[in-house]
Amino acid sequence: MTDTAQHTEVLVIGAGIAGIEASLLLASSGAKVYLVEKNSYIGGNVIKLEEVFSNMECATCMIAPKQQELLQNENIELLTLSGVESVQGALGDFTVRIAKKARYVDMENCIGCNACFEPCPVEVDNEFEEGLIKRKAIYIPCGGALPNVPVIDSENCVRFNGQDCQACQEACMFEAIDYAQEDEELEVKVGAIVVATGFRSIDLSESNPYGYGKCADVYSDFEMERICASNGPTEGQIVLRNGQVPRSAAVIHCVGREEKGYCSSICCMSSLKIAHFLKHKLPEIKVTHFYSDLCIPGRAYQKFYEKVREGGAAFIRATVSEVSEREGGLTVRYRTEDGRDDALAVDMVILARALEPEVDTSRVVDVLNIPQGEGGFFSEKEPDLSSVGTSQDGIFIAGCAQGPKDIPDTVAQAEAAVGRILSVLR
Amino acid sequence: MARRLGVYVCECGTNIADGVDIDAIIDALAPVADIEVAQKHRLLCSGDGIEYLKQSIEEHGLTHLVIAACSPKQHEITFMNACSAAGLNPYLFQMVNIREQCAWVTPNKEEATDKATRQIKAAIARVRYQIPLQKSEIECSPDVLVIGGGIAGIKASQLLAGPNRKVYLVEKTSSLGGKTKGFGKLFTHMDSGPALIEQEVQKIHDNEGIEVLTDSEVEDILGFFGNFEVKIVKKPENEELNVGVGAVVLATGFETFDPQRLPQYGYGELGEVYTSLEFEEMNLSTGPTGGKILLKNGKPPESVAIIHCVGREEKGYCSKVCCMYSLKFARMLKAALPNVSVSHFYSDLCVPGKSYQRFYEDTKAQGVEFVRTDKTTVAGGDTGLTVTFDDNAGSQGQRAVDMVVLIPAMEPSADTQKFAEMLNIERDEEGFLVEEHRLLSPVSSSVEGVFAIGCAHGPKSISESIAQAEAAAGKILSSLIPGKKLELEVRTSEISETFCKGCKTCLLVCPYSAITFDESKAISVVNEALCHGCGVCAAACPSGAANVKNFSFGEIYQEVTAALK
Repeated sequence: MTDTAQHTEVLVIGAGIAGIEASLLLASSGAKVYLVEKNSYIGGNVIKLEEVFSNMECATCMIAPKQQELLQNENIELLTLSGVESVQGALGDFTVRIAKKARYVDMENCIGCNACFEPCPVEVDNEFEEGLIKRKAIYIPCGGALPNVPVIDSENCVRFNGQDCQACQEACMFEAIDYAQEDEELEVKVGAIVVATGFRSIDLSESNPYGYGKCADVYSDFEMERICASNGPTEGQIVLRNGQVPRSAAVIHCVGREEKGYCSSICCMSSLKIAHFLKHKLPEIKVTHFYSDLCIPGRAYQKFYEKVREGGAAFIRATVSEVSEREGGLTVRYRTEDGRDDALAVDMVILARALEPEVDTSRVVDVLNIPQGEGGFFSEKEPDLSSVGTSQDGIFIAGCAQGPKDIPDTVAQAEAAVGRILSVLR
Repeated sequence: MARRLGVYVCECGTNIADGVDIDAIIDALAPVADIEVAQKHRLLCSGDGIEYLKQSIEEHGLTHLVIAACSPKQHEITFMNACSAAGLNPYLFQMVNIREQCAWVTPNKEEATDKATRQIKAAIARVRYQIPLQKSEIECSPDVLVIGGGIAGIKASQLLAGPNRKVYLVEKTSSLGGKTKGFGKLFTHMDSGPALIEQEVQKIHDNEGIEVLTDSEVEDILGFFGNFEVKIVKKPENEELNVGVGAVVLATGFETFDPQRLPQYGYGELGEVYTSLEFEEMNLSTGPTGGKILLKNGKPPESVAIIHCVGREEKGYCSKVCCMYSLKFARMLKAALPNVSVSHFYSDLCVPGKSYQRFYEDTKAQGVEFVRTDKTTVAGGDTGLTVTFDDNAGSQGQRAVDMVVLIPAMEPSADTQKFAEMLNIERDEEGFLVEEHRLLSPVSSSVEGVFAIGCAHGPKSISESIAQAEAAAGKILSSLIPGKKLELEVRTSEISETFCKGCKTCLLVCPYSAITFDESKAISVVNEALCHGCGVCAAACPSGAANVKNFSFGEIYQEVTAALK
């Protein structure tokens, strides 16, 4: 196989924790890495979290050194706002076309001082903050995002919609705003590809029984993560939409599990984490979990569950049939396993939704020609055995693009993909 | 040589200039001795800024440099590179963060200016005493020792061995394959474990880069990342083999909880109560029943109870894979004996991931019963067993069965403990090896160059164990490159021969086992190849003999004094 290997460069798709780890490891071996990220920032889903289970480590503090290392690594060419358009060839000799959108801000000149945000006249929902607050048309998604260089959202920017506005350019002291930047197409040659496109939580339909989208204080998992985040919309203050402090919360597990047909692996733990966080911030709060089976596998997770339980969280094994608004709060109606119907009044409901592959996975599938299996996740070539090899030699999958998993398993797969690549491209 | 200090303050556009009075800072530095040049610049990290800096260092013949700007996380490397390019040793440079730590956080400009001035003076006070350091490299061996010939060890060996890299695969039993070769079927595709192992072992034998040492034990490992000396003893002749390797992979597997510790299950007392491994053996064509599921009386069972989570409470953790292989047992029973009734006694089903729940649903659809209970006991005689359980409505139920299979918790193997002690690797309270970082370095141990994979780190499926094997290969192949030297930490600790009293405190606290004791001189000695410069020894040393280079007591004292003056 090594005879045909011509290129030792590697393409990594997705700059979440899996893509970052794979890129750093490949770069340390001396390989040139092209890291393609669709967003303007790196760090994936992990940087949305305030803390990670089970040792409640600060997520951004944990990943920031890796992000910095990545940005400073000369072997890694980071292509943000980019997507893979086409891939041709085979192991050792792939030709990849990458479409890179203009940022309209010069990465070299910008020092990340944020002076350009304030004068921008546009206000739209901040997607990174789950729409809980607004952002400008020139923005970084949240404080601490890396690279610390804003992007102009040309869809919403008034200048790109025919108006004569240059407010951001006037505010910039470093001549970093460049309206003339154009989208680019690049072609690179690589020997192998790592697909680390990650996950998202499922969208809830309008008819969801949990009151999401109808009742103000029903929150999704990521909305709650952002409310907990010290760099989020409430700066980590746990408050209801009316500004009051919640006295009780219900965490509903397995939202969408039945429809998806699989267990999303990490939601029990992230639900416990949220309960732990709420209790830490608001010692008086009463947190109740509605769940069917607790999935806390491995050596450290049960201890965390016991700690949360000892902290006063209640656990009710039941199916939630409805969440509705009542005078001054919410009502959670549920049926226990032995068929008893009951209801609980709470101030706040948090929904732990099923995980699914990130939306553009199917686009990547078209381009890479690797099969999708259960739940739309990428299929490994040898199920039950190696989880990172695909039916296409030279194309590897890592992290939640392959299936729901926690951070250590994600990092292990990223390193595994590198192991497989370096064992042939050497 | 006289010191010629340069101090540069970056305005960072208006980011620093607005928050602190830079001219006042420069004026305040006037009385400080040895300053050759103190200047401000609009943006030092820019191309122009770096050029200006390099020219200025050369023009003034600077011997030491202080830059007050943003966070070192952002531009320390940028400025260190500028030093090198201008011929100044980069370790004679000190960076001060007056943006994040002053301009951006201290709203009162006067206070921010005073704080910035103190920080800069502190840096000047310490930089005078900094010494030039050089990066150094050591030769290393690309070869690898893999301990444990189970599926994880096999897969790691296959990926690691190559034209320029030899792998020593050491297995203490007489054959490779570990526990997997005893699993007649593997979840979820019900492929054969022995067939898998046969195929993988063949690949091992076909690989010239792998030396398989069965019936062998690793007796000693000395050294450090890049240069380990390993003593292997091959039984039964006790033939000794000494090899040098650059890295060590521990794939020491797991053992199972002994159900005799829990008399309520009757294991050891009741003839038809089996452990999971005994049930696996019964299903092997090479096993005692020739692959048939039979009771001791030679008849097949008509009803079987599978009891989950045996020992979970005692161990304090969920063993992760037991629900899945219990379901596999139900499938094996139904395939061999279509009329057998199978009942699972469980508390929480743990079927994480994209494909496990479907396996459960398909198993349930075959008519398998699932009884949720937190308490189960087994009673009976040599034949005919009764399983009594508390149901979740608060009453008791019973099932009469012919056979009971207990699903015990997984535990670290005895070898995991042996090698943890030999290599001084941290273990958690359950006895599993602790990762270098629990989340970000899942296959690295607390000792550099020693990796742990598979169940040595905690319960794992075959697929997860293989991913870890591949991951260890990724870590090793990217760092131990044939023909390349290893770069060492520059700011290491050093122990003064004069001041060391030989109390050995540093040996106890060093997290990297980087300190040894020289018996002839009765002093502690730092191995620079192992030292990470964390400074724990310097903090612990009662006689001030241990110091980290450029973080000496003198430097820190001068720094603090200047800051507080």
